[in-house]
Amino acid sequence: MWTAFSATFKRQLVTMRRAYPWSFFIGHILDGVYITIFAFLSYHFIFQGELNERFVSYTGTSDYLSYVIMGGVFNSFTVSLLMIVSRMLITEMREGTLEALLLTPSSRLGYFLGAAVQGLMRSGIEWVTIICIGLFFGLNLVSAHLALLIPILAAFCFAIFAQALVLGSFMLAFRDTYITQNTLFVVMMLVSGVSFPPEFLPQWMQCLSRIMPLYYGLDLMRAVMTKAQLSFAILQNLLLLVALGILYFFIGIIFIKQMEKSVFEKHFG
Amino acid sequence: MNLLNVIWAEMKKSHRHNFNNRLMYFSLFVWPVIQFVDSYYAFKPFNLGQDSPLSRFVPVEKLGLFLITGCLAYIFFWSLVQSAWMMGYEREQGTLEIILLTPAPRTLVMFSRAAANLLEAVWLFSIFAVLTILFMGGLHVAHWWLIPIAVVILMLSAIVWGGFLNTIFLFSRDAGFLYTIFEAPMAFFSGVRMPVMAFPLWAKMIAYAFPLTFVLNILRSIVLDGKNLSAIFQPLLELFLILLCLIIASFILVRYAEKHAKETGNLTLF
Repeated sequence: MWTAFSATFKRQLVTMRRAYPWSFFIGHILDGVYITIFAFLSYHFIFQGELNERFVSYTGTSDYLSYVIMGGVFNSFTVSLLMIVSRMLITEMREGTLEALLLTPSSRLGYFLGAAVQGLMRSGIEWVTIICIGLFFGLNLVSAHLALLIPILAAFCFAIFAQALVLGSFMLAFRDTYITQNTLFVVMMLVSGVSFPPEFLPQWMQCLSRIMPLYYGLDLMRAVMTKAQLSFAILQNLLLLVALGILYFFIGIIFIKQMEKSVFEKHFG
Repeated sequence: MNLLNVIWAEMKKSHRHNFNNRLMYFSLFVWPVIQFVDSYYAFKPFNLGQDSPLSRFVPVEKLGLFLITGCLAYIFFWSLVQSAWMMGYEREQGTLEIILLTPAPRTLVMFSRAAANLLEAVWLFSIFAVLTILFMGGLHVAHWWLIPIAVVILMLSAIVWGGFLNTIFLFSRDAGFLYTIFEAPMAFFSGVRMPVMAFPLWAKMIAYAFPLTFVLNILRSIVLDGKNLSAIFQPLLELFLILLCLIIASFILVRYAEKHAKETGNLTLF
């Protein structure tokens, strides 16, 4: 597994330095920045800081700007990491290297992990950039509980990685990236609490929130980065996030294997 | 006749190219509907009562209509940004060079390409928007004959914008970057989801760089505020001048792009 991991990591690093479409990089940053500016203009220039009482009761904070900017930051991070991992196999297919990859005895998990860890470098740069811009627009990082931040971030990345495996298998099934990924992204943004608490949505739509790692990840990140007091709900959400990640991971592994078999029979058989 | 031939040829080509997969309807219908719902709920954290500060710009009871008209006009313009983005594939597949070898006038091809893609891209969401407007209690227009005029203004503006973007995309090898530059700021600053009048000066300056801002201003004046033709004469004149500038710029840029491509041979290189 280590060989596949390091080989993929090195290849992706070289690709990033020499041939990465930087429009993706700028696009992810801009997506986060637009959510930030939208929140800033809405809050100050349209509503003059007047919030709905239900917002405060749902979120436990009256700091609307920090709530939405954190949503924009982690939405961009999630989209970026999902795209990096899920597009791996279909990109191999388009470039004509998938057959060679499937013929090697290398570990598929090592391959995906290599892509994900290298991708984290890129997503991390985007993440830091949006946070820095957010600080100018009212993001208030009152208490970063570092001891909690690291395990939460690790669990969050694992859950997104696992979700990306499932997304990647759908891309192979439909032989499409554009429609598949963006359909997930628009639904994810609506139900995960990026710019408003999902409690405002009808009950049946809130069920969709529960299957999105971003929903739990955002709740946890907001709790440890923008709220002074910690609560028991953090532990509960962390466990749910890990459980969801494990579930997606096993579904993803099974789906990817099935898809590889199907692709091999249909296209290279 | 020339124009109709080119439009018909482009329409057939784009239909065969883009609509061979039913997944396409996700981008034309499901995404805009979800984005409309998202934009509506994004206002929920704020005070939307009778004393809401929003009513300085939009009556709170008309917020839904404000958003659906914004989304409807946006989908007209967005579908043409997407169509221009597809110009990159024409270059990669070598068909752009073949198109430019035909005797069809170049600028006409650019505008026909936009016109051909428009109807197929917007009809589904337009039906949804009309049903939503009826569900919300209908429009508030001074004269019903202003509605077809509003639709024509919307379509013509979108086609001119699409033709201009097609021309711009002739210069670029990384169309994705231009898509990022043109799509998101237009969605954000043109007043699709927020009233432009509420923006600070710097945001207003960005807003008025997009024709969609002027189109939305006219469209909402007709269908939300019930204004008559004389009341919208000035914004109509402003829009006309902007569209004229875009058409002239397209004519000049197409010639320049072709000359540049002949010198560098980059129409097929990627």
